[in-house]
Amino acid sequence: VSAASAPALSSQLIVAMATAPHTWLRLVPSCRSYSKATRLHKIDYPWKDEPKPHWVRQFEARRVDADLTPENRDWLRQWRLQRVRDAVASSSEAAAAASPLKEPPAARPLWTPRVSQRCGLVGIKLGILPMWYRNGQKVHTTVVQIPDQRVLRWVPPEDLGNYASLREMRPYRLNQSLLPRWLTQQRWGLQLVGAVPADPANFTAQWCGIFKAAGLPPMRKISRFLVSPDAALQPGACLGLHHFRVGDCVDVVARTVNRGFQGVMERHLMEGGPAAHGSTKFHRKMGSAAGGGGPIYRGKRMPGVMGNRFRAARSLPVLRVNTKHRLLFIKGFTPGPPHSYCQIMDSWMLDVRRSLDANPPPMPTYFAEDAPEGGYPEDVYHPDLLPYDQPLELPD
Amino acid sequence: SIQLEMPPAPSAAAGSCALSLGSRFLFGCRVTAAHRFAASPVQPPSPLHQQPHLQPCRQGRRWLRPEFRGVYKPRLSPEAMKEFWRLSGIGPDHSRAKVADQQAEVPPEIKRLYQEALPPIVSQDYRDPIVESLHRAEMMRRRRVINIPEFHVGSILAVSVMDKHAPNKVNRFVGLCILRRHTGLFTTFTLRNMVDQVCVQIEYELYSPSIVSIQLLKLERRLDDNLLYLMDAPHSHCTIPFDMVPEPYSRNDPVPVNRERVRLNPPPWMCKWHLHGYQGIDLEHLYSYLSDKDVAKAIEFSKAYKRYDLLDQYLNRVPVPDADYAFKDIFIQHQELLQHQQQQQQSSKKSEVISKLTGTA
Repeated sequence: VSAASAPALSSQLIVAMATAPHTWLRLVPSCRSYSKATRLHKIDYPWKDEPKPHWVRQFEARRVDADLTPENRDWLRQWRLQRVRDAVASSSEAAAAASPLKEPPAARPLWTPRVSQRCGLVGIKLGILPMWYRNGQKVHTTVVQIPDQRVLRWVPPEDLGNYASLREMRPYRLNQSLLPRWLTQQRWGLQLVGAVPADPANFTAQWCGIFKAAGLPPMRKISRFLVSPDAALQPGACLGLHHFRVGDCVDVVARTVNRGFQGVMERHLMEGGPAAHGSTKFHRKMGSAAGGGGPIYRGKRMPGVMGNRFRAARSLPVLRVNTKHRLLFIKGFTPGPPHSYCQIMDSWMLDVRRSLDANPPPMPTYFAEDAPEGGYPEDVYHPDLLPYDQPLELPD
Repeated sequence: SIQLEMPPAPSAAAGSCALSLGSRFLFGCRVTAAHRFAASPVQPPSPLHQQPHLQPCRQGRRWLRPEFRGVYKPRLSPEAMKEFWRLSGIGPDHSRAKVADQQAEVPPEIKRLYQEALPPIVSQDYRDPIVESLHRAEMMRRRRVINIPEFHVGSILAVSVMDKHAPNKVNRFVGLCILRRHTGLFTTFTLRNMVDQVCVQIEYELYSPSIVSIQLLKLERRLDDNLLYLMDAPHSHCTIPFDMVPEPYSRNDPVPVNRERVRLNPPPWMCKWHLHGYQGIDLEHLYSYLSDKDVAKAIEFSKAYKRYDLLDQYLNRVPVPDADYAFKDIFIQHQELLQHQQQQQQSSKKSEVISKLTGTA
């Protein structure tokens, strides 16, 4: 994606928009919706949580080549998949560790309290498994699989103005007085991560071109993470399962289940009307829209599509790690249906940040040299968790 | 062929700063998402493989919002998941099923012992083979610690649960199993009994580690999947003495079926028992309490046309290949469990002998 072809936000404009909105708002005098309701940050717009880059078409219909026999078509597909496998294997941490020619990674950055924010992982939510603590309490764990993923790009905080182009700028940003803080503070940069490598024939040439610069095979999912510059990763770096340890608290961001077009009682928990006592056609309606002669403010709660929004489950500990299937068992429930993507990152909650300062995680990510002697066992459990093949022993 | 009606593209001076977007606001244009196609070098979706979703309305064709079109689907389709598992090699483990294929057929006692190993009856979107295999593996790990006997709805069980407030730290309850729900590690069963002339129903999680032992006192099956109607039946049907002696049974014999028909108490009832197709209720006695309309409704419900409802059968049954795969997987783990139990017996015998020798010595 070339930022040059898109209209860009200069850093001066960002500063102006953040500090003195009344100066530039004069440019849009016809904007009548600058009201209190617009300033509420919880307003949802359908295109708010668009996957990026939406300006690049990802999937392409498979070309039907009548000159190929079915056997040759299958052979070519296997050949393509094998090339993808080789590309993934050559950039993996095992290959980096095995190759004598590659230099060891440069001096690894130290974890700086209140400054460091590591990259996260892309996961695929699989389902739920119940487990028990050693005190007999039940806990539900979400099983998340960590696919093959590689770092695509690093956008430093200074370049955010050029990168965050107007293509993804939502129209109401100009009506609001608040820009997102990651754009105004410029404390963190953007780390692009690609996950789930797949057959290149599924994708358009433009989508494959995004990965070409990093020397990677095309992947199904591109995710962004807000990362501090000291934890930046360069393109091609490998992100693996052991980026998170058992006991680390994570935030899981995912798109909630799409519940379809829902009425106001389901969507906004409004009361509706009485079921009986002469109520005429007023059982599940909204009632008044509180116009009062004026306009109905933007953000008024009304029926519409419910769900299908990005939401975060905060501060969930990782209770178990399975190295065979590359699974993380995260306590509690995460948004989204099974087989949906989720972003997993170090929690932003303050008590978790303090515990990470005391016990810093591998920075900037897990490398082969961090492995314990003898490698990891198939299952690593949290000390409070009771494996199923052990009997429960309650203290008296 | 369907043509997309695109708005005219803005001037080429849609250039390098936000003023251009602001100028669109100056002239009061309604901002739609169509401007993105105009600004981007990507072509709009061609009609071949991406039919535009048209909103039915009088004003003509409109561009539907993405969430109504179902565009944002951050989910992997089953084909994409299979491709990803094949590429990376971290998919479900089929080795046990392959081993079971080489052996003889799965014996019927496996299907009786491991009823909860079947995958849940939900839509395919909510099922995952790795999670199901994890459930089965953890079930077998738990069975190395505690013996879970074969039981059905209608059997009598004695369950001992850890209770820190009890005198012996163990709480024992004897009851008739009236319900068996869910699958995998979520499996629960409900026991019903009379305690001091009070009806008590306790639901236990089968794989909870706080269960010390599950003892089968009587192996039996009833005509129904659940015996919830006993709540409206005389208490004699679910009065089981706590000091009941276990009755012997043989695994090779078929499970005895108790064909008794229960006479319910007069209404009001907790539930409309005549509308659920229970075979274990005395229907003549039941219909004597109902009006003609209710009886007609009950008879209508129990008509035989349901066996021709293919969609009902499809939705409410586990697909046969999935059930076979699950039982093959469990069969191999069952054999490993038997080996483990034999080894444990041998080692316990060895330790007994050693302790006797050291004791005498």
